[in-house]
Amino acid sequence: MKILSILFRIEVLKAVKRRAFWVAFGAFTVFTAIPAVEGVRYAHRNPDFAYALPESWPNILGAATGLGALFVAVLMILLFAPEFSWRTGRQNVIDGLSKERLYAGKVIVLAGLILLFMVTPALIGVGGTLLSPGEGGPGIIRSTDLSYMGGVALTLLLCGSAGLMLSALLRSSGPALGVFFLYLVVEEAVTGLMSRAGEHLQAVTEYLPFNVLEFLGDDLAHYPEELAEVNTVRAEGGLEPREFLDVEVLAIAALTYSAIFLVTAFLSMRERDL
Amino acid sequence: MHIIRAFDLTKRYGTRAAKSVLAVDQVSFTVEEGQVFGFLGPNGSGKTTTIGMLVGITNPTSGAFSLFGASDPTGLLAARSRVGATLETPNFYPYMNGRDNLRIAAAVKGVERPRIEECLELVGLADRAKHRFRTYSLGMKQRLALAATMLNDPDLIILDEPANGLDPQGMREIREIIRILADRGKTIFLSSHLLWEVERTCSHVAIVRKGRIVTCGTVEEVIGEGNLVLLRAGDEDTLAGAMERYPEATSVRRTDEGIVVGLSSGDLAGVTRYLAEQGIYLSHLAPHRQSLEEVFIDLTQDDFDSMTQTAS
Repeated sequence: MKILSILFRIEVLKAVKRRAFWVAFGAFTVFTAIPAVEGVRYAHRNPDFAYALPESWPNILGAATGLGALFVAVLMILLFAPEFSWRTGRQNVIDGLSKERLYAGKVIVLAGLILLFMVTPALIGVGGTLLSPGEGGPGIIRSTDLSYMGGVALTLLLCGSAGLMLSALLRSSGPALGVFFLYLVVEEAVTGLMSRAGEHLQAVTEYLPFNVLEFLGDDLAHYPEELAEVNTVRAEGGLEPREFLDVEVLAIAALTYSAIFLVTAFLSMRERDL
Repeated sequence: MHIIRAFDLTKRYGTRAAKSVLAVDQVSFTVEEGQVFGFLGPNGSGKTTTIGMLVGITNPTSGAFSLFGASDPTGLLAARSRVGATLETPNFYPYMNGRDNLRIAAAVKGVERPRIEECLELVGLADRAKHRFRTYSLGMKQRLALAATMLNDPDLIILDEPANGLDPQGMREIREIIRILADRGKTIFLSSHLLWEVERTCSHVAIVRKGRIVTCGTVEEVIGEGNLVLLRAGDEDTLAGAMERYPEATSVRRTDEGIVVGLSSGDLAGVTRYLAEQGIYLSHLAPHRQSLEEVFIDLTQDDFDSMTQTAS
């Protein structure tokens, strides 16, 4: 436990002194605050609408998914990859950390970022509900809200662990960021091509990492009643209904990818010289 | 007590035989408690790779080593808490100030804050501790690295080119700090190109060439190896040519003072007799004491020759 506390202190110090961390976190906070402010303003203008819990959880958590996942990946790369180019990770090992402990420190960073990017929109959103007129339904949180929270946390884990792996493999923030965003484009293109090639191939694309992330972070995958309403509207418009894989299947896929990314990063750290 | 023991330590970069590089080739040496051990070699001779294996940043291809008697991963991790080391250029977070950089090193080493201030004072950086590392001169960076090395009051201090980038005053200060640490009984493992510094500072020395240790021992033993004589005569070209043909000569080198000849035996009468037979009469014959630099150049001559050929 003592070593975990030491690793936590070291990584916090490294992060809070880094301007890039505050710029990224500040930008995310601003983007997160916009829908909350809009929700509160709309509730003040429209007495029929309540920006309140538990109904507003999808709106509150929606800010963390997608954009939040990208920010976690980018920050993970910015906080890890330069340790190789500055050779500070190597110095940490010379000073007495093992390579495995250096890696463990970065897993702590990942956990911290996930927590930060979950808690920040939650605090902003819940703060907004306190300033908003009107009341919500019974309770503060529903089982579907918990499912969505879990889904959002997994999207952050998936993106963050991809950032951690790319940092460990490429050892430079520029190439790691480049490969990360290039992969997003490539997966999008592959998904498009395979979808046109037939239903079987389209089904396969649903299991690609960022499609898993997209589905898992989509609130409709977690709220069946809302999904039914949306599909009713789509049916009236002559559109295909939206369908999702089971949340459990998506969660297992996200956890599997994250585990692969984290193990790859660990092996790279352990086997390669610093 | 053995502080460092290396047995056939080997590091090969790359897996394909054709493209792989043997950086360290079966290096074995022992550093005892209290020694100031100089580890010398030309650039690319494998010094930093060897040190990298000792401090855990480079995985050995084969061979083994122990620190303070420990050779298993858990034991080595514990042993490294008694080591202070800096490799090549000082590596710190450029966006942090000197003090915060030392806070990170101190946290890793389990050292309390007051020690940070002591070390900053010791290396003369207390006044600049609030400034960012990226604004430091190379000399200041070296001092900060030395401060980080000393944070945990280590029993073994490993310094790789600690005088790099320092002015003569800075070099003198580093030498003074090394001397103080040695007087306190610390074991010091020093890699340096500054041979006269090593000769003044070190008790023991190993010279590495192309990944292999070519000589190792006390400084006196290494300098005193071989029977060297300094010869002078009217025509030094003829003298050098004759000595190159002399069966007992192991090396012939021209210097500003004359011709320095290594002999396989101490038979000076045999030298004078041989030269007289060649019609060469000496004006000077005396035993020659080499400097460490001369020994180093002798042992790594091929590297210098290839460099000068490339340059010309």
